Amino acid sequence: MPVFKNTEHLYETLGGFWKALYERQDFSQAVKSAGIQIKFEITDPQAVIWVGPDGVEFGEQNLKPDVTMQLAGDTCHAFWKKEVSLPVALAKRQIKSKGNIAKVMKLLPLVKPAYDMYPEYMKKHGL
Amino acid sequence: MAYDYLDLQCADQIVLNDDHEALKKQVRKFVNEVVKPASIELDKMSALDVIKEGSPYWTVMRKMHELGYHTIFIPEELGGIGLDPLGLHIFFEEMAAGSIGLAVACGVDVFPSFFTSLILPDYPELEELIIQPYVADRDCSLLGCWAITEPEHGSDILTPYQDHFHNPRITHQLVGKPDGDDWILNGQKAAWVSNGTTATMALLFFGTDPSKGLAGGGIAIADLTVPGVSRGKALEKIGQRDLPQGEIYFDDVRVPKERIVCTADAYEQMTDLVLGAANAHMAVMCLGGARAAFEETLTYTRERVQGGKPLCEHQDIQRRLAEMFIEIEAARQLSRNVLNYNLWSFPPHTTYSMVSKIFCSRTAFDVAQNALQIFGGNGLSKEYHIEKLFRDITSTRIEDGSNETLTLAVGHEILFGERPY
Repeated sequence: MPVFKNTEHLYETLGGFWKALYERQDFSQAVKSAGIQIKFEITDPQAVIWVGPDGVEFGEQNLKPDVTMQLAGDTCHAFWKKEVSLPVALAKRQIKSKGNIAKVMKLLPLVKPAYDMYPEYMKKHGL
Repeated sequence: MAYDYLDLQCADQIVLNDDHEALKKQVRKFVNEVVKPASIELDKMSALDVIKEGSPYWTVMRKMHELGYHTIFIPEELGGIGLDPLGLHIFFEEMAAGSIGLAVACGVDVFPSFFTSLILPDYPELEELIIQPYVADRDCSLLGCWAITEPEHGSDILTPYQDHFHNPRITHQLVGKPDGDDWILNGQKAAWVSNGTTATMALLFFGTDPSKGLAGGGIAIADLTVPGVSRGKALEKIGQRDLPQGEIYFDDVRVPKERIVCTADAYEQMTDLVLGAANAHMAVMCLGGARAAFEETLTYTRERVQGGKPLCEHQDIQRRLAEMFIEIEAARQLSRNVLNYNLWSFPPHTTYSMVSKIFCSRTAFDVAQNALQIFGGNGLSKEYHIEKLFRDITSTRIEDGSNETLTLAVGHEILFGERPY
């Protein structure tokens, strides 16, 4: 049974988390100045989340991603809970990325504050 | 039956911009003024003298750190130069045109720090501990290496997903034992570790579970300045004499958990990933070597007079130069596409990296061999640079996996691999 029951549930929880993260000035400012458009193509359940200079969007959009990350909903959850190591997940094909690896690396310092926020946010949603 | 080939160009368009052109000029100038003269000098020195303080090896490595070239894989956000795949291709082709050995020394230097940046989400403290000091280093007091091969394991330890990799009778000679969350290492790495005699840190591969054979391994960002680490003698070689290589010994060396990139659960996949990046870059260095041999030959054929006219006016010499040119151009297109694709797609298609390395090292050897023939007796003399290039290029068919073993791995992948062919 996947952590996120269906697409709506994923957008409400994981999507909501990204929106909450984006409301943090330091994070949104960093994404804007980096100018990176990231597309998460999620399976189980199917969903698409965009994070970029204009904010967080759900579903297919008329945007050009700099980096595309393909991963399962459960892998997303495990990543934010620090139960999955990024290089291991990449090596084991749990996460696939398309885009300049240097740009993938740019994401890493940006997500630092999110690790502390995630467990608390998910707890509120019963996860 | 048609096979489902990989469209390498679908990753991203390869377009040279002003930054790429400027980079090419800048690196070429550095190579002509610093790298190539140093490489020629180092070639004449003993392996021990190469690593002594004050040798041209240290002049080059320090200058590279001064210019920030040791950070070309580290993103700008972490203080590095962070070149894109095309930039990396340009950089390593130019570097290797001056010296394949020093290009390899520069390439492996960044291995430990690059892999540190990958595990930063898990261990953010490593940014301050490893990445920041490395990026800020200007006098080469911090230098990396890639320590994977062992006295009994060369190309076999580089080629996962095959039967030998899972044979419990074939195990690592550097063995780790868990001690709480840390690992204690005992054993040694081979004499073929590039920068092995000079590095202060290593991307280090070691055994964790011998019951799984070579697949039962782990990878660490190892500090080589701690007690228990010692070095073997500097290796004397036929070529790439400017690249210091030598054993590293480990005697009860503790590696803390935050320096462990992975253990046996992901070791095979991670080895594949590292090989995918390494072979794709090694191919570019072979291309650089081939280009250097071609350029030497072009100049020589314009100056050398035989049969009453310059060599270049002989029809057969023109044909041979054209053959070299064709091979080099094809090697550049393949290696650019593979590097671009495999650095844009993670995890990489390692088979294509191996194909690129095999093709480009064959090209380099063909070009060097033909060049030597054109030089005639002069090519056998140490007075001509082509003699050194021939020796340097010979090594490329063995380093980073011998071409024979890599070709077998490609064959295995074609028949039994993840992608259907």
